[in-house]
Amino acid sequence: MKHKIYIFVVEDEPEVLDAIVRDLEEFEDIFPIEMADSAEEARDLLSALIDEGHEIGLILCDHVLPGQNGVELLVEMQDKPSTAETRKVLITGQAGLDETVRAVNEADLKHYIAKPWKKQELVETTRKLLTDYVLEQTENPMEFMSVLDSERIADFIRKGRSITDN
Amino acid sequence: MTKVKTTGLFLGIIGFCIPLLMNFQGLSLAGHIAMSIFLLAAVFWMFETIPIYSTSILVIFSQVLLLSTEGIIDFSGVAGYDPQSYTQFIGTLANPIIILFLGGFVLADAAVKYDFDKNLTRILLSPFGNRTSTIMLGLMAVTAALSAFMSNTATTAMMITVIIPIIAKMDKGDPARIGIALSVPFAANIGGIATPIGTPPNAVVIAALNQQGLAVAFGSWMLYALPLAIVMLLVAWQVLLRLHPPATEFVALDLDTKLQKSSHAILLYVTFGITVLLWVTEGFHGIKSSIVALLPVVVLTLSSAFSKQDIRKLPWEVLWLIAGGIALGISMKDTGLASWLVGGIAWGDLSSMMVLVVFGAVTLIMSNFLSNTVTASLLIPLALTLVTSGALDGTFGMLLVGLVIALSASFAMILPISTPPNAIAESTGVLKTKHMLLSGSIIGVIGLILVLLLSVFYWPNII
Repeated sequence: MKHKIYIFVVEDEPEVLDAIVRDLEEFEDIFPIEMADSAEEARDLLSALIDEGHEIGLILCDHVLPGQNGVELLVEMQDKPSTAETRKVLITGQAGLDETVRAVNEADLKHYIAKPWKKQELVETTRKLLTDYVLEQTENPMEFMSVLDSERIADFIRKGRSITDN
Repeated sequence: MTKVKTTGLFLGIIGFCIPLLMNFQGLSLAGHIAMSIFLLAAVFWMFETIPIYSTSILVIFSQVLLLSTEGIIDFSGVAGYDPQSYTQFIGTLANPIIILFLGGFVLADAAVKYDFDKNLTRILLSPFGNRTSTIMLGLMAVTAALSAFMSNTATTAMMITVIIPIIAKMDKGDPARIGIALSVPFAANIGGIATPIGTPPNAVVIAALNQQGLAVAFGSWMLYALPLAIVMLLVAWQVLLRLHPPATEFVALDLDTKLQKSSHAILLYVTFGITVLLWVTEGFHGIKSSIVALLPVVVLTLSSAFSKQDIRKLPWEVLWLIAGGIALGISMKDTGLASWLVGGIAWGDLSSMMVLVVFGAVTLIMSNFLSNTVTASLLIPLALTLVTSGALDGTFGMLLVGLVIALSASFAMILPISTPPNAIAESTGVLKTKHMLLSGSIIGVIGLILVLLLSVFYWPNII
């Protein structure tokens, strides 16, 4: 199977999980979405995906989960080279200040989405962070233009950093 | 490694070995070796077993190793080849046309650095109003004008940033979205033919003509090719308008121009203007375009407008790619391989028109699937040899066939893989391959017909 960049969603309430995935369906053709309902399940799935040669471009993570909490999962991911570059987002109503600060400082949290969220905010954040990811981490970001920020990707090509005349 | 690449690897190695194991009547030992290198390069370029610029480097390396006086084969006492120093092959990297391109690259990259390309586009677009059809013409004219001096790819990428906001404001079902998205890469491909530095195939052809002692001045090339570029631009515009008629008559175009005013930026504008002026007036003052090309390199680097980091970011691999193409032509000519190859066909029976038709059509077809530079590199040595063997009329014939190959190579635009500008346009997701296939085929065929008409009615009168 072809190497893919995944969007990963961790959320314990099935309805909320469904709603997030539904809001992100415009990305799904190019960035497959993988889901988990606890940090433990997420950890297994993440290592399985990485073992198969895929990357995780973005993780949207709830904070309050059964067992280990979301911030701990994000910090753990930040410490592993294979998921250090993954863009990390908390999507929660209940993370306290201390935990949020920890996520910013130790997991390089890129965005905090408060529940209930607006679809537009979720989509725009996803688009921006995935664009950041492909511009930094892939050799040929052109192939992601159709669902991401095509202006930024085109400008990147203009500056001559991926393809040239042949 | 994909299956295609692996197949290419095997075929390339087999191709390399065949001439070494066989004895072709009438072909010198060096000719056999040159054929090995040619087959290896052709297969690797076609299958992209290794990156196309690596194949070019491999060509130069093989020539130094196998065909130079410093190489491992002693040609003394072997008839039919007078080996040259290895500097002849590595010297292709400093060929005047490479230096011309280097100057062009510095100018173009500096323009991007100071956003001159973007701002110039906005200034040039403003007179085109807000009718969908004239805006499309404006986009195409500006794209073509810029891509005549900058890389087609960078121009397309820049113009995509201009058209995305326009397309986003249009109704999702408006066919003009597709038309506009296609107009940019097509105009970039067409604009590339207008000047010697417009696109790499021009370089390969001009360098090959120089090898034959035929100098092509910057302005002369423009005289031959610019009228065709203008006509083709109008043709492409009309084809796209008819295939994708705009649903709304007017379209919004936000143009905020902020020309940078730092001293470095101003120095760039002036250098850009003077360099282009000196290039197009080569016929009057006689300073060769590759010498003029040193001007932006000198001025922009000594003033630090173009820094060490900027120099490192130049598309050096394109220069390697062109140099390999030039080098391949040298050994095909010098070893007698090219004349041996064309000697096998009864070209004498063909009219000179037929020869041009064959080369034009083969170039167009090949470059739709291969890199345009590679296509030109593979075909030009054969074409020029054909002329020397008498199928076409001397110097004039060489220039004709050279123009036919260079221009037809740029008119190949039916698929995303045909040229990088097409690939960028397809990646936006606004259009589908079938749209490109249809309009690209129509434009390619009209382009080829026009090239052939020019070679009968226009070029003979001005050369």
